[in-house]
Amino acid sequence: MYKLMLTFVLLLTISSVIGENQIDDIFNQAISSYENRDFESALEKFVLIENQGVINADLYYNIGNCYFRLNSIGRSILYYKLALKVKADHLAARRNLEHALSITKDAQKLETENVFRSFWLKAFNSISLNLLAILTLVIFFVIVVLISMMIGIYRNRENAIPIFVTILFIFVFVILLIVNVVKWQEYHSKDEAVLLSPSALGYSGPGEDFTRVFTIHEGIIFNIEKEDGSWCLIKLKNGLGGWIKKDTFEVVKFR
Amino acid sequence: MKKLLLLILFFNTFLLLAQEIEIDSYVDKNKIGISDMLTFTIEISGENVPNISAPVLPEFNDFENLGTSSSSSSNYSIINGKMSSKITRNYSYTLRPVGTGNYLIPPITLEIQNKKFTTDPIHIQVVEGSTEPAPPASSNFRSRTDQSSDIADNLFLRVEISKKNVYLSEPIIVDYKLYSRDDIANLAFAGDTNFEGFWKEDVFTPESINFKQETYRDVRYNVMLMRSVALFPTQTGQLEIPSLSLNVDIREKSRNFFDFGSTRRYSIQNDPETIQVKPIPTENRPADYVNAVGSFQLTSGISETNLKVGDSFTLTIIITGNGNLKQFDVPKLPKVTNLRFLDPEISTEINKNVISGKKTIKYLIIAQEKGNYILPAITFTYFDTDKHSFKTLRTNPIDLAVREGNLPFISSSNAQSIVNEEGADIGFVITNKQIRSQKLYFNSFVYWLIWFIIFLFIPGSYLYSQERDKLKTNADYVRQKQAAKVLKKYMKQASLLVNKNEPGFYTTVQQGLGNYLADKLKEPRGSTTDKIILALTAKQVPPMLLKNVQTIFETCDQARFMPGGFSQEKIKLDFKLVNDTIKEIIKCKL
Repeated sequence: MYKLMLTFVLLLTISSVIGENQIDDIFNQAISSYENRDFESALEKFVLIENQGVINADLYYNIGNCYFRLNSIGRSILYYKLALKVKADHLAARRNLEHALSITKDAQKLETENVFRSFWLKAFNSISLNLLAILTLVIFFVIVVLISMMIGIYRNRENAIPIFVTILFIFVFVILLIVNVVKWQEYHSKDEAVLLSPSALGYSGPGEDFTRVFTIHEGIIFNIEKEDGSWCLIKLKNGLGGWIKKDTFEVVKFR
Repeated sequence: MKKLLLLILFFNTFLLLAQEIEIDSYVDKNKIGISDMLTFTIEISGENVPNISAPVLPEFNDFENLGTSSSSSSNYSIINGKMSSKITRNYSYTLRPVGTGNYLIPPITLEIQNKKFTTDPIHIQVVEGSTEPAPPASSNFRSRTDQSSDIADNLFLRVEISKKNVYLSEPIIVDYKLYSRDDIANLAFAGDTNFEGFWKEDVFTPESINFKQETYRDVRYNVMLMRSVALFPTQTGQLEIPSLSLNVDIREKSRNFFDFGSTRRYSIQNDPETIQVKPIPTENRPADYVNAVGSFQLTSGISETNLKVGDSFTLTIIITGNGNLKQFDVPKLPKVTNLRFLDPEISTEINKNVISGKKTIKYLIIAQEKGNYILPAITFTYFDTDKHSFKTLRTNPIDLAVREGNLPFISSSNAQSIVNEEGADIGFVITNKQIRSQKLYFNSFVYWLIWFIIFLFIPGSYLYSQERDKLKTNADYVRQKQAAKVLKKYMKQASLLVNKNEPGFYTTVQQGLGNYLADKLKEPRGSTTDKIILALTAKQVPPMLLKNVQTIFETCDQARFMPGGFSQEKIKLDFKLVNDTIKEIIKCKL
């Protein structure tokens, strides 16, 4: 029985290693296609890996680069956004996203002009969810050690410093928890979308008979507020809202 | 002068009244037997039909007039708040043929309100015997092929084609009409009709039985439009318009008082018709011909002529008319520098008759640089089926002025050049990496297990501090905790003495066991054996074990006072007893 189980585990490990090796092979082929400026073939291979269910910031970054080289700015922005969703501190993806956004028809900026909000966003975006998970765990460990020390050592002593330090750490912990929740929601959100068609008209209602509100162009990032049949109510970063057709954009989410 | 005006007014009113009157004449059947009767009807309808006496028929040599009857009906309708009325007066004559052969009911001239109207002549065929329906057969299903000619005359399908000689892609309207003079109980399509060689658009399919009266070949029928389709030929040559098949349930007339009537099903279909489809000429075909066939008009317009850089505006091209609106390509747009044309939005609205409609093409254009521009004329060439030639329509050129602008959406005119700058635009592709799915720690079991383990520190530290306090304050507890350790030490020493066969073994055992039991039982060290036994009894130690303890202590006492000591075997046996007893004592919770 033990041997059988061991064989099974061994086989499972081998098969997964083979699968990973295959993915690495395809990845390397895609890289060489990209380096030979055969961007279409490179894209095809990268997307093949993506279709295997691989969620990886570098992969998304490379797909974004392929789309950029193929002049598909909208899709490149979509994939840089995905890369940053997986790894918020992916500097290359952030730089490329900024560059791609700078050449879209509609002017877009990643950061706002408000100093405090800009600082907050910078800090928030530079920490990935996994890093945050480790940080939270470390802070939790420190709090537990402090509480244990208070129970074991400082219980019968009149000393306010350990209590103060513990409260301080608990405060940091609560903040981290809130950031965690926000990050988690952001990671799993399906609200943000990127316009992929060359242009789209925004109407005041779900239909072409309504008044035109705005015209947006490929690559613009916006939030989806509501859906109605083949129409979606969107909100642009500048606060403008309107209804656009569903088939003109794609939501920033993992496949 | 006034008299002349009055005269004109009077004449006009009179003309108006006369114009509104319509005359129709028909027979109930145009093939009868010598023994049958024929009903000839003159119908006068109109908004203001005077009540006239039955028109007198001229003398017929071929028919005998058996009598006249008249009826009238009024129909009022309100359309868009306007009321209109229609009066219909019918004058029916019952005629009997006097001989067999082909006869003619001559035109009848009527004078109504001093205006003369003439009916059309009607041909009648008179045969031997009777054409009245034969007695019903036993089966209640008959096909068109085995039914009597009476049924064939009274119930049939006809196809009406709007045009029989057309060009490729030129639309035609095909109407399938059901003609009936019987009482129809139910109708159903029998199978699908396959329009091979045509692109088909449905125009009309009835949702309920709805008959209108119509005269066809001098006979009055109840007519229902069964299906109407618009067909666009996709092949040239002779094409067949397929037949439509129907199952019709006819209510039979009751033959006597006890016959409550029954229905009989007939399967009918129309005769197939053919049309001739000609190809579009290749001679003199303009280069911008987009396969449009029919007759069209072209208009264009833009949403804004005064623009700022980055603004977008819409150029709308509308093609209206009759023809294959859904099938041709959109006219090509000329290129204009600094104006970016995006893919057009095309919508086609088709009127109910399907042949006519409107095709709207909306181009979104973005002004990329300031300046004055001219949107050149757009041409649209189609094949005019009426004039049998190509026709090119042109829109007017449009002037545009683009000013400098600072709108929230600023265009970046050099976007394409930036994309082409290799290496200087976006970062390089990431190589030499192992691509693994980046899993979230929050989704990992190990991560949460670590959280749990860390959390366990809190109760652990509490228990530890409790234990430490106890050790500090409670001496008996300390003795109890350390008793086993002390005993182990003594037993190790005893084991060495056994091997050396020294009588000191008994002293060691007595001290070790005595101290262990005293510590465990919270008795002072050096307590007498009796006291320890008493305490053990109080702890409900099994009697057998109690006896063994007592024996060990007694043996140890004996050994102390025995000068020669015990033999080696006795010592070994006693050591075994001591070991077994200690094991049992440890098992008991003291």
